[in-house]
Amino acid sequence: MYDFLTGPVLWATFLISFGGLIVRAVLYVRGLDWRLDRVAYRPNLKYGIRGGLRSIVAFLIPFKARLWQTRPGFTLIFFAFHIGLLVTPIFLEAHNVMLKQAFGFSLPAMPTGLADGLAWVCLVGGLFLALRRIAFPEVRIITNFYDYLLLVISVLPFATGLIARYELGAYDFWLCAHILSGEIWLICLPFTKLSHVILFFLSRMQLGMDYGIKRGGMKGTDMAW
Amino acid sequence: MFKKILLATSGAPSTFGAARVAFDMGKRYGAEVLVLNVMGVPTKAYSQVVNDVRTGEEVEVDEEYRAWVEEELKNTFEKQIESVEYSRIILTTGLPHREILRAARENDADLIVMGASSGDSSVYRKGYPGSTLQRVAKAARCPVMTVHRETASYWGGFGNIVFATDFSKQAESAFKFALATARELDTDLTILHALDISGKVLDQNEIEDRIIAARERIRTAYDLDGFKNCDVEVWEGVPYVEIVKMARERSADLIVMAHHSHELDPEKARIGSTMEQVILRAGCPVVSVSKPDKV
Amino acid sequence: MPEGILCNKTPIKTEEQLKLTLADKGGKQYYEELNNLDVDSDKLWASIQATMKSRTKTWLEICAHCGLCAESCFLYQVNGRVPEQVPSYKIQSTLGVMVKKKGKVDNAFMQMCMETAWAKCTCCNRCGMYCPHGIDMGVMFSYLRGLLYSQGFVPWELKIGAGMHRVYRAQMDVTTEDWVETCEWMAEENEEEWPGLEIPIDKEDADIMYTCNAREPKHYPEDVAEAAILFHVAGENWTVPSEGWEQTSLSMFAGDWECCKDNVLNVYSAIERLRPKRAIGTECGHAHRATVIEGPYWAGREDGQPPVPYIHYVEWLAEALRTGKLKIDPAKRIKEPVTLQDSCNYVRNQGLKNVTREILSYIVEPGYFVEMSPSKEHNYCCGGGGGFNGIGMYRAQRNMALRKKMEQILATGCKLVIAPCHNCWDAIRDLEEEYKIGIRWSFLKPLVIGMLDVPEHLRPKDEGEDE
Ligand code: HEM
Ligand code: HEM
Ligand code: SF4
Ligand code: SF4
Ligand code: SF4
Repeated sequence: MYDFLTGPVLWATFLISFGGLIVRAVLYVRGLDWRLDRVAYRPNLKYGIRGGLRSIVAFLIPFKARLWQTRPGFTLIFFAFHIGLLVTPIFLEAHNVMLKQAFGFSLPAMPTGLADGLAWVCLVGGLFLALRRIAFPEVRIITNFYDYLLLVISVLPFATGLIARYELGAYDFWLCAHILSGEIWLICLPFTKLSHVILFFLSRMQLGMDYGIKRGGMKGTDMAW
Repeated sequence: MFKKILLATSGAPSTFGAARVAFDMGKRYGAEVLVLNVMGVPTKAYSQVVNDVRTGEEVEVDEEYRAWVEEELKNTFEKQIESVEYSRIILTTGLPHREILRAARENDADLIVMGASSGDSSVYRKGYPGSTLQRVAKAARCPVMTVHRETASYWGGFGNIVFATDFSKQAESAFKFALATARELDTDLTILHALDISGKVLDQNEIEDRIIAARERIRTAYDLDGFKNCDVEVWEGVPYVEIVKMARERSADLIVMAHHSHELDPEKARIGSTMEQVILRAGCPVVSVSKPDKV
Repeated sequence: MPEGILCNKTPIKTEEQLKLTLADKGGKQYYEELNNLDVDSDKLWASIQATMKSRTKTWLEICAHCGLCAESCFLYQVNGRVPEQVPSYKIQSTLGVMVKKKGKVDNAFMQMCMETAWAKCTCCNRCGMYCPHGIDMGVMFSYLRGLLYSQGFVPWELKIGAGMHRVYRAQMDVTTEDWVETCEWMAEENEEEWPGLEIPIDKEDADIMYTCNAREPKHYPEDVAEAAILFHVAGENWTVPSEGWEQTSLSMFAGDWECCKDNVLNVYSAIERLRPKRAIGTECGHAHRATVIEGPYWAGREDGQPPVPYIHYVEWLAEALRTGKLKIDPAKRIKEPVTLQDSCNYVRNQGLKNVTREILSYIVEPGYFVEMSPSKEHNYCCGGGGGFNGIGMYRAQRNMALRKKMEQILATGCKLVIAPCHNCWDAIRDLEEEYKIGIRWSFLKPLVIGMLDVPEHLRPKDEGEDE
């Protein structure tokens, strides 16, 4: 089982996941229409890129955009959750060991303590995000089952990974469960809203280009995000 | 002298005096009386809703409403309309001062007659500074007559016209109008200059000197062209008070004066203008002239 | 009865149809017919497929349903923060559902969409600034309006508004003759006070071509005169076109894109005919948006720019003050607390946030200008944007919407509000009428004229003759 999951399935997963994300990015860009979007992307590319990058950067840095300032609590949870989500799997020792075995190279691995910490942050962050959906009427009204499912999918590898790591229960089983949930996670990236992994950048870029070209950028005033 | 007289009326009793004068004049000169009613002031952006000038209520002007307003006006002025040969009712919507000016221009009116409060309801004044009267008086090409009270609002049987001058350019036009009217109606004409000493400390001699200078100036500035029944007066004081006093003393039937465009910081002019003060206090119609075109 | 006589899927194209629709007082019959209007699902779905490309699709799809946009919407704030006013909810429950159902929706749904698109959103685009994914619901609502309009689901006044633009190429029945006559009239009316004042019509190769809002010639031609006076004093070589002078676009509020294109091309052809060095529009937000910001795209101009540089009135005014073409008498500057309404249409949507403040630095005594909070691109809509001001059926909702601006103004403590935008001006007037907070408001032109330091040679000759 383990071999199967870490063998062909894993390969297929990576292929589908990353290939899929690339396809989504390409489709997104190709689907942009200067007339319908009313943004002259091409002739004013320089302004566009400038505006786009400003827009991305403003939202990638905690507390930079006005939004992040107005909601400090949420901002903390959000960034903690996402940093955990992205950093943990990439720099995890166990993952990099496998990487080394397969390709002969690995990324710097982080100390286990930190990895554990980040994984916990993810779980707790995910929990808060879920509670928030229940607690606030303005979030509740737009939340549906799908949103919870995505949260579960997002944190499941962390839960299972931790269980396996602490060897609570049958290690083999939990390891397989972990790998399976990780693969689901990866496969979901291109096909669900998790595609925002890439589309976040494209969408922010697009609006940023809009501001950078049409809505002020070419007038020499920068949007104060 | 007058071929077309534009009467701006809301149909309310406060404009009956104006209506009476307008129709009397129409009869006398065989002039056409154009009865203008600004039904409503547009409000709410591009919507079709207007504020009824009289009630301030929101209404939508459609054919039915138009017909109703026209009927009302016809009933109100029934006798007067019958008394003149030509008359016409014009209904419109817009800001009163602007629509009065527009109608005067479109119809090439020779005189605008309005009540002191024609169309001045609080409703539309919001955001548009200055009274309707101020704005009409400033911009009209023809003389503008205001009838504040219903009493003494007959045109004809006149005894005395007071022309008040401040020696401005506009006053020259006003003088022409006053003289022509005095001739036409065969009345006495009093030319008055009110020496403005409000807020100034002058000794008696200086005042005397100035009065003499002013008298001299009136004689040279205004060519009576053979008109005899005229006398010249220079009184000192607050101009509007002196003008009203003089009108009382002479039992004037008409006051003619110039309107100053440079008085038009509308909000200030509204309180400060000599003309408006005179209109409020005088017991007879007041004509203001600011342009030379129609005198 | 699928298609009504007044309420149907066909835009108003003739004067006759326009008059007929206008005669339906308050849209009574129109709205009755609306209840029976059929939805052409195939057409709706076809047009969604043809026009909904990756940007909008992605927006609808990746919305994290996080609700962060809620607080950014003033309509959410003033309506008791009911969750139904969350921007994401508003768009997902309308456009989102319409797309999910592939256009197979019924009359009741379309009517709900209509109310949401016109009474729960002013397309102020503020929410787009606060969504982490950069989802601009204002843009989507504008798109939704287009879909609704094409199916005949549009408020009566806007059906008429777009009709006006189709029939007269102006938002009101102001014909070319009316316009030219008004210009002549205004020049005459003011020539004594401003010797040499002209409103040159159709002058070729001038430096400036000026365009305005039909409401000015129609109801408040003083505004045209004021523009002329300021150009005159500044010594500008300017002109107005006899045709193509109207810059506004109720069709933009209505979602009648075909008409938008026709109208903007009309303005551009005036530019091509008269070859001015640049064009300047009046103190109107949506007019600027329609002709300068979105217009080039409707007209299919690939660089996204009008044929010549086309600036907003505030840009010209700032420039004239900066270069000394217009001089202000410091003694006449505003000496009372005064605040400024930033219009979404050219501040959030074209970044013109600094020029207005530059103007104020000339006309307001230092220390008297009070910023609204928030301000600049973060300012809230006046409450009457996107056509909200003029729709009778949604008056109550509009009045509620004014509350945000009221709170903001009250918080500044100012009694004077400068509103260089027709729509904002209207909304603030209505605000005073509705809530009586004792404020005054003004465009820039009359204020500036009142405090000009007019050069000797431009003053009337024999002024102040009296002692
Ligand atoms: C798909 C292939 C994956 C494989 C083969 C894999 C494999 C492993 C292995 C072997 C471990 C070590 C367990 C131990 O310490 O005994 C582990 C731990 C872990 N993995 Fe994965 N993993 C995968 C995907 C993921 C993904 C997608 C995520 C997160 C998004 C993830 C998050 C974690 C976490 C949080 C731990 C526990 C780390 C700690 O606390 O030390 N893994 N994984
Ligand atoms: C560079 C990568 C990423 C960026 C820039 C990013 C950005 C965002 C943004 C802007 C939001 C929306 C708003 C919010 O809820 O605060 C969000 C939400 C979310 N993201 Fe990501 N994300 C990234 C990667 C991921 C990954 C890899 C996952 C997991 C698979 C993930 C899972 C989620 C989830 C579950 C939510 C919804 C949170 C909620 O319930 O409120 N994200 N992300
Ligand atoms: S802030 Fe953006 S992602 Fe979040 S609910 Fe609103 S629209 Fe959706
Ligand atoms: S565009 Fe403005 S009014 Fe519309 S939902 Fe967004 S914030 Fe609210
Ligand atoms: S009226 Fe003014 S503030 Fe309101 S939406 Fe339009 S531009 Fe913005």
